[in-house]
Amino acid sequence: MTNARVIDAAETESPTARPSVIPVVAATSLRVPGRGRNAAGAPVRFSFDGRSLTGRAGDTLAAALLANGIHLVGRSFKYHRPRGILSAGCEEPNALVGTDRGKGRYEPNTRATTAEIFEGFCSTSQNCWPSLRTDVGAINDRLAPLFSAGFYYKTFMWPKSFWNKVYEPIIRGAAGLGKPPTEPDPDTYAARYAHCDLLVVGAGAAGLAAALAGARSGAKVILVDEQAEAGGWLLSEPDVTIDGRPAWVWLSDVVRILSGMPNVTVLTRTTAIGYYHQNFLGLCQRLTDHLATVPEGAPRERLWKVRARQVVLAQGAIEKPLVFAGNDRPGVMLAGAARSFLNRYGVRVGERAVVVTSHDSAWAAALDLARTGTAVPLIVDLRPTVSPDLLAEARRSGIEVMCGGTVTDTRGRLRISAVRVNPVAASGTVGEGRWVACDVLLMSGGWTPSLHLFSHTGGKLIWDEDDQIFLPGQATEACRCAGAGTGRFGLAAALADGAAAGAAAARDAGFAAKAGGFAVEGEAAMTGIACRDLPTDRDAAFAKAFVDFQNDVQAKDIRLAVREGFRSVEHIKRYTTNGMATDQGKTSNINGLQIAANALDRSAPSVGLTTFRPPYTPTTFGAFAGYNRGSLFEVTRRTPIDAWAAANGAVWEPVSLWRRARYFPKAGEDLHAAVARECRGVRASVGLFDASTLGKIEVVGPDAATFMNRLYTNAWTKLEPGRCRYGLLLGEDGFIRDDGVIGRMAHDRFHVTTSTGGAARVLNTMEDYLQTEWPELDVFLTSTTEQWAVIAVQGPNARNVIASLVEGIDLAPEAFPHMAVAEGRICGVPMRLFRVSFTGELGFEINVPARYGRAVWEAVHAAGRPYDIVPYGTETMHVLRAEKGYIVVGQDTDGTLTPDDAGLGWAVGKAKADFVGKRSLSRLDMLKPDRKQLVGLLTQDPRIVLQEGGQIVAERDGPIPRRMIGHVTSAYWSEALGRSIALAVIEGGRSLQGQTIYVPMPDTVHAATVSGMVFLDPEGQRLAA
Amino acid sequence: MIQECKTLQGTAIPGIPGRLAVTLAPDCARLVLRLRPEGRAAAGTALGLTLPDRFGEVDESGERLAICLGPDEWFVLLPECEAAAADERMAATATSPFSLVDVSHREVGIAVCGPAATLALSSFCAFDLESMPAGSATRTILDRAPAVLVKHDAERYRIEVWQSFADHVWSLLAAVSREIALDI
Repeated sequence: MTNARVIDAAETESPTARPSVIPVVAATSLRVPGRGRNAAGAPVRFSFDGRSLTGRAGDTLAAALLANGIHLVGRSFKYHRPRGILSAGCEEPNALVGTDRGKGRYEPNTRATTAEIFEGFCSTSQNCWPSLRTDVGAINDRLAPLFSAGFYYKTFMWPKSFWNKVYEPIIRGAAGLGKPPTEPDPDTYAARYAHCDLLVVGAGAAGLAAALAGARSGAKVILVDEQAEAGGWLLSEPDVTIDGRPAWVWLSDVVRILSGMPNVTVLTRTTAIGYYHQNFLGLCQRLTDHLATVPEGAPRERLWKVRARQVVLAQGAIEKPLVFAGNDRPGVMLAGAARSFLNRYGVRVGERAVVVTSHDSAWAAALDLARTGTAVPLIVDLRPTVSPDLLAEARRSGIEVMCGGTVTDTRGRLRISAVRVNPVAASGTVGEGRWVACDVLLMSGGWTPSLHLFSHTGGKLIWDEDDQIFLPGQATEACRCAGAGTGRFGLAAALADGAAAGAAAARDAGFAAKAGGFAVEGEAAMTGIACRDLPTDRDAAFAKAFVDFQNDVQAKDIRLAVREGFRSVEHIKRYTTNGMATDQGKTSNINGLQIAANALDRSAPSVGLTTFRPPYTPTTFGAFAGYNRGSLFEVTRRTPIDAWAAANGAVWEPVSLWRRARYFPKAGEDLHAAVARECRGVRASVGLFDASTLGKIEVVGPDAATFMNRLYTNAWTKLEPGRCRYGLLLGEDGFIRDDGVIGRMAHDRFHVTTSTGGAARVLNTMEDYLQTEWPELDVFLTSTTEQWAVIAVQGPNARNVIASLVEGIDLAPEAFPHMAVAEGRICGVPMRLFRVSFTGELGFEINVPARYGRAVWEAVHAAGRPYDIVPYGTETMHVLRAEKGYIVVGQDTDGTLTPDDAGLGWAVGKAKADFVGKRSLSRLDMLKPDRKQLVGLLTQDPRIVLQEGGQIVAERDGPIPRRMIGHVTSAYWSEALGRSIALAVIEGGRSLQGQTIYVPMPDTVHAATVSGMVFLDPEGQRLAA
Repeated sequence: MIQECKTLQGTAIPGIPGRLAVTLAPDCARLVLRLRPEGRAAAGTALGLTLPDRFGEVDESGERLAICLGPDEWFVLLPECEAAAADERMAATATSPFSLVDVSHREVGIAVCGPAATLALSSFCAFDLESMPAGSATRTILDRAPAVLVKHDAERYRIEVWQSFADHVWSLLAAVSREIALDI
C-alpha cells in the first residue's frame, strides 16, 4: 500500500548486517557488574504478561524489562503498532502498562519508566488482543491511510444516525489505552497543608544548589522531587566531579546535609502537579506504591497543599526524539534514557547500538555504552561538523561517525533489527541509503526545558531563536526558574544558576543568603541544533515518522492539518490530537510545533505553544479526594437524637449537611404505609418529632426588638415576653428568604428559629446588617442551633404526654396558649418550652441543652406509650404541614415569591416604617395581578398524587409547546383527607379559585382544581385545643 | 436527674506514646460573651479573667480561658459549675449592654497533644500552625468543619467544634493518627 514498506534487498549493507533473528540474551549479560545506583540491590521477582522475571531492588519496571532484553511492552493507541520504551522518566509516552498490586489494586496506564518494582510486582501490557506479540488490532496499521488526522470527521459522517450507535463505539473500542479498574479503589489517601519560605521543585543539581543556599540562610525549605531519590540527572552522570568529589559522593553528602537540617523537608516520590495562585502548589506524594508489603491502614498517596513565600522551579529538561520513518519501533529510544539505564541501573539497553543525533549529549551515551560492552557501529550526526574532541573520542572507541547524515527508515517486526542511514550533502540532497544492523537505535534531538509549572502560573514563554526552545519569561508569581529549565544546560551552569536562584529567593523571603560556588570537572559539551522531521530520499508523505507516540500522530498528519487550513497550534493540536495524550506532549509538542511552523513557513512563536495545565503528570482521583471519601466524603451532621432514630429503624434523608429521619418503617411497611400510619397517629393521638436541626439564634440586647423590627417583616415591639410569633425574613429585593417561629424570652432577648438549611445564612445576614447598616444598635447574636435539642410533641394528646414531666410551667390552655413560650424544667433539666405547631395540632416544642436531648426524648416517648405515641419523620412532617398550607421556604418558594405571592401578606407589618425588603414590595412589578401565587390544588382523580415540579398549563389540548403558567411545589397523599393534595405557584393563582388547570405528564394529562392552601381544619380549632 | 448523652462518648483514638495523644477534653462551661469594648475590663473581673483585646489572643488561668474572637466577641471556658454564677455576676456588675449566652452543650472539646500534634492538625487545617503563636486561638476550618482552634503551646492544642461536626473531625484525627503511628 505504501512504498515506505517495500524493502529493497540491494539497499542493505551486507547480508550479515541483516540479522533475521534478534540474538537471545541471558538476563544477566545485560547487567554491567558493579554499575548503577542499585548495583548491590537484591534480586526481585516480578511478572510481565504472566512471565516471571527477575529484576533488582531499586529498578523501575522499564529498567528491569530491559535487563531481561525486553523492549516490546505495548501496542500503540490507534494503529496498534508494537511499541517499546522511549525514555527513562515521567515523560514516557509508549511504555504504559497495567499494574496489579493485589486486593483490587489495579491501575491502568502506569508508566513503566516510573513504576518501581518489588517482590511479586505484577504488570501487563495494554491495548492488544490476543497477545502483545500477535495483536489483531495491528490491522489498523495496514489501514493507516484511512486513519489520517480527523479521519472520523471525514469518513464516518454518513449515515448520520450511525455515528452514535456504530462508528463511535467501534472507533473507541479499537483505540485506547488500558482498561479502567472494575473494583472500587480499596486504598486510602491522605492530605497535608504546609507553609514554607522556599519551595524548590526538582532535586537535580540546580534544585539541590538552590535548596542549599536557602537552607543555609535559615529559611524554611521544602525540596521536592518526583523520583525515588534526589539527584536528577546526576544519577545518570556519575563520572564528573563536583568540588573534588565524585558526583555521587557529592550528591549523598548534600542530601545528608539537607535531610539533617531541621528547617528542611526533602520529599521524594513527590510530583509537583500544579502551581496555583499566590504561590500555592499541589504536590502528590506516593507513599506505598513501591512497597512489597504495605502496612495495614497506610495511605497510598498524600496530596500536599503548600503555600510558599518563594518558589524555585528546577524542573530540568526533557530530551526530544527525532522524527523519521520507523522511529517508533521497539528498540528506538532516547539516548539520554539509554545512558540513565546504564549508569543508574547498570542495564545495557542492547548489544548493538546505532546513535542518531543533532546534539552532543548523545555522544556521551554512545561512549558510555561502548565502554561497557555494547557494540556501537555508528554515530549519525545531523550536523555537518561536530567538535574535534568528540570525533577523537569516537575514534578511540572504534565508532564510525557520519556527520551530516540522516536516518530514513528502520526495520524489525517487534524490535528494531536495522536502520537505514543516508548522507546529506551541503546542498541538502539526501544521498543513497545503506542499512546498518542494530538492536537499539539511540536518538537525540536536543533538550526541551520543562516549563510546565511556570506555564501554570500564566508566566509568558519567550522563544529563543538560537536554540529553538521556549524559555521562561516574566514571572507572574514569586518564582524563579533555574538550571536546564532555563536553557542553561550543563552541570556547572545548573549548580551556579540554582545557587543564585535559591539565594535570591531566600533574600526575597527575608533571609540573608548567599550563593555558594561549585567547581565541576569532567563535564562534556552540551551543544546541538534543533531540527524538524529528518530529511529523507523517499516520499515523506508515506513515511511513518511519529511525532506523538502516545496518540499515534505522525509528521504527515500535522502537514495535512496545515494543508486543510489550520493555522494555530491550538487548532492543529486538537485536529491531529498531537500532545493531547496522558503525557501532555512532553516529548512531542516542540517537534509538532516546528513541523507546523515549517509547513506554514512561519516562525515557531507565531504559530504558538499550547498552554500547559495541571496536573504535570497523571494523578489519581484518590489523591485529589484525600480523606474525603466514604464516611468522610462530606460532613454528616447528626442530632443528639440520631442514635435513637438509628436504633429504631429510621430511613434517612439528607437535609443540608444533616441526616434526618425521614420515616420509621415497621416490618413490611414501605414509605407510603409508614407515612400514612405516622400521619394517622399524630392526628388521632400524639406524635414525636426531632426538630433539633432547626437553626437557632439568641438575639440579645436593649435594642433587640428594634433590630427584629428592622429585619423581619412582622411587628415585634408589642410582642410580650412569653409569646411567640411567626417571623418572615425577606431580602432587599422583597423576596422570601427564610421563616421561623421567634419567641420573646425577655424584654431584651429573642429566641429566633430559622429553617434547617438557612441557619448559617440568616445569622450571617443578621451580623452583616448589624456591622454595616446599624452599628449603633446594642444587639448581640449567638448561634445556639447546637446548644438545644428540640423535641416536637404534636397531637391532641400532646399536653397529656408531657404534663407529668414538666415542672414550673402551667400547661393549661388559658395559661399557656398557642404561641406561648416559657422557661421551666423537664425531667429535672432546664427547658425552653414553645407551644407551637407545624402540624395544625395542639403542639409543643421542647428545647433542652443538647446532651440531655436523647434522655428527654426517651422519657417523652415512655410517657407517651399509653397514648400510642408515634415517632415520625420529615416525610410525615411535610404531609401534616401541607394539609395546613404551611409553606417550606426553598420548596414552595424559590427566591422569586413575595409574602403576598405566598399568601403570607398577613405577616407583613403594614404600619411599620421600614424593614428589609419593604421598598421592593411596592415596585410596580411586585403589584401585578398576574404574579405567580401560591395556591392549593385538588386533582380531579383524588388518587393521583401530582409530581412535584410538574409544569401547569391552562388548557388540556392545544399546540405544543403550550404556555406554562406555573408548577407544582408540594404534593402528597393526605391520609387525613383520604385524597391527594398539592401546593403550586400559578400566574394569578388566587383569581383562579375553583377553575381547572392541567399538569401534562409524558403519558397523560392530570386535571386539577385550584383551591385554597388550607386543606384541613381551616378554622384552626385543633390548634387551639 | 437524667443522663447526659455526650457526642463521641465511648470512642477513643489510640495514643502514640511520645508522639501524639488525641483525647476528649473534660467538660466545662462555655459562654459566648458579646459586648462593646468599653465594658471589657468590668466583664473580665466578673468572669475572673482578663479579656484580651486582640483577635486570637487568649487569656488562660487554670481551668479558665477566654479567647478574643472579634472586636466584640469572646469565647469563654469556665469550670463546669460556674456558668450560672458568672451570669449573675455579669448581670450585677456590667457597665454596658452585653450578651452572655450559655453554649456549653453546643461544642465538643478535643485535646491534641504531643510533638506530632502540629503535623496531625496540618493534615486538614490550612492555617499556618507552626507560625501560630503559643497562647493564641483562631476560628478556622478543619477539612469542612468550622471550629475554634487553641494553641496552648507548640505541643498542645484544643479544638472546640460544634457537636454535629465533631464526629467528622474525630474521624480525621483517627486517620491521621494511623499515619503518624506508621510514620508514613
